[in-house]
Amino acid sequence: MNPVSKFLYELQEIAFLTWRVLVGLKRGPRYFRETIDQLDEIGVGSLVIIILTGFFTGGVLILQAYPTLAFYGAQTQAGQGVATTLVRELGPVLTALMVAGRVGSAISAELGSMVVSQQIDAMRALGTSPVRKLVTPRIVALIVAMPLLTVASDVFGLIGGGLVAKQIYGLDTTVYTSSVRNGIDIDDVLGGIIKPLVFGVIIGLIACHKGLNTSGGTVGVGKSTTSAVVSASISVIIADFFLSKALQTLFKTTLF
Amino acid sequence: MSLAEHLVELEAPPEIDFEAPLDNRQRIVPAIEFNDVELAFDDVVVLDKVTFRVRRGETKIVLGGSGTGKSTIINLVLGLIKPDSGQICIDGEDVTDFDEPEMMRVRKKIGMVFQEGALFDSLSVYENVAYRLHEEDVDEDEVEHEVRRMLRFVNLEDAIDKMPNELSGGMRRRVGIARALVGNPSIVLFDEPTAGLDPPTARTICELAIKLRDLEDVSSIFVTHEMNNLDYLSSEYAVVDDQGNVEFETEGERLCLINTEVIMLKDGNIAFSGKDEQLRMSPDPYIHRFIRGK
Repeated sequence: MNPVSKFLYELQEIAFLTWRVLVGLKRGPRYFRETIDQLDEIGVGSLVIIILTGFFTGGVLILQAYPTLAFYGAQTQAGQGVATTLVRELGPVLTALMVAGRVGSAISAELGSMVVSQQIDAMRALGTSPVRKLVTPRIVALIVAMPLLTVASDVFGLIGGGLVAKQIYGLDTTVYTSSVRNGIDIDDVLGGIIKPLVFGVIIGLIACHKGLNTSGGTVGVGKSTTSAVVSASISVIIADFFLSKALQTLFKTTLF
Repeated sequence: MSLAEHLVELEAPPEIDFEAPLDNRQRIVPAIEFNDVELAFDDVVVLDKVTFRVRRGETKIVLGGSGTGKSTIINLVLGLIKPDSGQICIDGEDVTDFDEPEMMRVRKKIGMVFQEGALFDSLSVYENVAYRLHEEDVDEDEVEHEVRRMLRFVNLEDAIDKMPNELSGGMRRRVGIARALVGNPSIVLFDEPTAGLDPPTARTICELAIKLRDLEDVSSIFVTHEMNNLDYLSSEYAVVDDQGNVEFETEGERLCLINTEVIMLKDGNIAFSGKDEQLRMSPDPYIHRFIRGK
């Protein structure tokens, strides 16, 4: 199968999976316990790495931007720059990439292992739909957890930026906070919530699709896991471009 | 009533109530029926117009080398894959074109024993065996009673709280059998359940299949490539003695086995169908080589 045909085939399979998830959400049975377990695994389990990522990203943004802003005498605007960059772009995208790496790989490996050890067949033989039991709870958990994780990343990014501004460059905290407030408006916050929702769906669908289509034993599990992380990461970055453009058009915001 | 009316009545197909309990159904309807089933993956023909029936209470042993389509037959019965053409009936119901939700209903009366057990790694033995009941929201007291009953049947009640990774290969298969039997399915499918097991453990698995056949009236397909399994299943039967203990007797001591037949697959076709004695006397060189192992 040539790459274009393969891509279209995968797209078709993911579309089918999406449809089956939607049907599962509508008709049930609904697996609340599994969804809560996944929320714990995906949301709480990812919190530490998301906080660390956000904190140091905010810190390094100030570290790099402050000297340039100071050169132009605009160092009091440093918080504004960090806030806009974090809330609009880096918060959602970095969170999605971290979740794609940590959760996407785990989902794909788990489902892939279940496929090669015939646990998925056993589930179907026992009268349970693997999509409803395994896929839907994970995607719902990602949809709920991703915006929350992104907000955590943004908040700790701003804290990290503030600490670096204060401790290294001696910028007053009040000035920094005021600048941050000037940099964010409601459209940024809404955009920062919409993006992770979409990213959550993308990561969940790709990871589940790759996992459920694993073949070739344990080697196949490794391949599907790698493929899930790579595909999800690239898809997130591509989707981010189009989402940003769509949100700019929607909210008519392009600058500070 | 005229002779013509009598003939019409005789030729009329039996009326079957699919929702009625198994015992009340007419036993004449086969538990599993394949009619001219064909399946190919790309250019490779896996099954070529395969036709056979499994009667109620019968065990059909499916023999054949690797890649001859043995496990494919089981996957077709379960509806995990669909045939390219032909007809598959379960309890007289044509399931060939059933979609997934309809197959879910059919699968409730089928138990499946996988080659490696296929136990859910994250669930304990209790939770694995109780899986189907938990999915149906059965009361927990009832679940525990049923799980213990099934684990007693496979002689593994002591392992109820263990995790699958704490079990030996044979124990995993037996837990798999217990899980398959929950809900008293009328059909049980065995997909090479003794592969890779030592002879005594393989014998234990076969004894469980014999008990299901002779004491529980279960119809089954037993896929294997091991001749020992054929020997056990086609020459021994289970009876309950006066003290209520299960005994295994050899065919000919008191009874003659009529509820076990063999089919052998070769290149997607049925190379043989009949009794084990006929199989052993077959002049077909392929069968001869398979039986002798050379």
